[in-house]
Amino acid sequence: MILHLIKKEIALRKINFTFSVFAVFLAVALFIAFYTSNEASRRETIRLTRDMGFNLRIIPANTDMDAFWQNGFSDTTMPEENVQRFRTYKDFSFAHLTATLHKKLRWREMDIVLTGIADEIEPSGRQKTPMIHLVEPGTVIAGFEIARHLNLQEGENINLLNKDFRVAKILAESGSIDDIRLFARLPEVQELLNMSGRINEIRALNCLCLTADDQDPLLLLRDQLKAVLPKAKVIMDKTIAVAREKQRLMLENYFAFIIPFVVVACALWIASLVFINVRDRRHEIGVLRALGYNGGYIAGLFLGKAMLVGLLGAFFGYLAGTLFSVWYGPEIFKVTASEIKPIYILLIWSTLAAVGFSVVAALLPTFIAITQDPAEVLRGE
Amino acid sequence: MVTLERLDKFYLTRQPVVKALHNISLKVSEGEFLVVRGPSGSGKSTLLLAIGGMLRPSAGKVLVGGQDIYAMPARERARFRAKNIGFIFQMFHLLPYLNIMENILLAAGASTVNFGKQKAADLIKQFGLSGRAMHKPSELSVGERQRTAIGRALVNNPKIILADEPTGNLDPDNASEVLDYLKNFQRINGTVILVSHGHMADEYADRVLQLRDGHIVDS
Repeated sequence: MILHLIKKEIALRKINFTFSVFAVFLAVALFIAFYTSNEASRRETIRLTRDMGFNLRIIPANTDMDAFWQNGFSDTTMPEENVQRFRTYKDFSFAHLTATLHKKLRWREMDIVLTGIADEIEPSGRQKTPMIHLVEPGTVIAGFEIARHLNLQEGENINLLNKDFRVAKILAESGSIDDIRLFARLPEVQELLNMSGRINEIRALNCLCLTADDQDPLLLLRDQLKAVLPKAKVIMDKTIAVAREKQRLMLENYFAFIIPFVVVACALWIASLVFINVRDRRHEIGVLRALGYNGGYIAGLFLGKAMLVGLLGAFFGYLAGTLFSVWYGPEIFKVTASEIKPIYILLIWSTLAAVGFSVVAALLPTFIAITQDPAEVLRGE
Repeated sequence: MVTLERLDKFYLTRQPVVKALHNISLKVSEGEFLVVRGPSGSGKSTLLLAIGGMLRPSAGKVLVGGQDIYAMPARERARFRAKNIGFIFQMFHLLPYLNIMENILLAAGASTVNFGKQKAADLIKQFGLSGRAMHKPSELSVGERQRTAIGRALVNNPKIILADEPTGNLDPDNASEVLDYLKNFQRINGTVILVSHGHMADEYADRVLQLRDGHIVDS
């Protein structure tokens, strides 16, 4: 009987019911859409912040820092094997380690920086997309300004310190010292400069994610480094590091704010609609009381309807949120689109949560419905 | 059947206390047709709701079938009301989303003694609503709506009918018809207490009481 009454009442007041279902639908769809695309979003954020560049530079401890900042690299070198020591050290919270060797040269009447790059090393052992320019043996990658000044073309053969190379790629203008840099593979640069087995910098990316709020990440890193490379020092580009951290926290805070905000707004929305429904049905409640129905039955009418609202809202919200993520997520997260997949278990959890949420939102108006004096309504006609 | 003992009902408002009923003592016998007449605001509806267990009096007792209904817990009082008392209202108060059959069966649903669809169908036939059983209240005339409301009040075979201005919205023909149905209920030993501000029901009554400002002033 109670289900029959609920069904019939819904059929009469379709708009109120539709708006209530829409409130739950909206909350669930937003949550599902955020949650389903969360992994893609997280990875995309990592990728975007990674593209901001390395934030750690590990250089020989005896580096003349005046010259370092003037030249952009250390004037002294350290053994290349230093970078290998990171492989066996488990406590590092940074990634994308790259050994580099830099040297200023005068080439074709132009001051350039020749940079040798080794392959990246991941202390974690995981495969990651490289941050460095991948240079094939026998090739170079030319900075924008070098190419412009010397009229270099991709595919052109050049001679550098009596060795022939092919220009594999010309970089876009970066607005940094990279514009006058010529990248080659580290072993070839070491051979050209007669500095076999030597490097003057290890570059790395630190996520700061293992750093507590009250810890200075740089001090922590220096402590870590001291254990592995006592003859090296670490410099952190705080602009990039902080930007990465802020981006990560911003994203977390955004989700932490938007989901509860939507949930509370939708709860108020449902509560208002149930309240309006209670007000519209004052006479009906009075008559039901006069016919002998008790408060539990009246509560059942409203809470049963709220459960139905939750069930339908959750089902359609799940569908909409999932379809939105699967269809439009790849447009937003182009690189990490493969991470966006339907999460079927969320249908169960979102249904349970939405039914509970809908019932909780309807509790106060239902309480008003069962405590209203039926005589007040019936007497006042 | 119904006994009121020194019944008072006060309403606490921001204004001075409103005395809706004052020191009402009354006995209504089983099978009696009582009309309580009085102007608007005289306390008629309050009296009816108090007798029906819907409005707890400020003082005094309401005995129905010898039982003090306000001494019962609310849940038991609701069951007692569903089984023994039928209400009829001036505004009918049919549920707009239920058809006629369902509106009548609604009262049966609250009672532990469920006479079911057959009884409802009999009442529909008796009240000339056979062709309207599946219609919604909005599709009926006012007379048909009130006959449906009477059917709802009778479906549980109550001992008492409490009727609050049941003819107030009806034309004379429909009003007579409604009063005839109530008279028929009385003939099978049912008790009717009807409140009205007019005189139309007087000729059907065994007794007429006059209520003014919460007092019985004439009988």
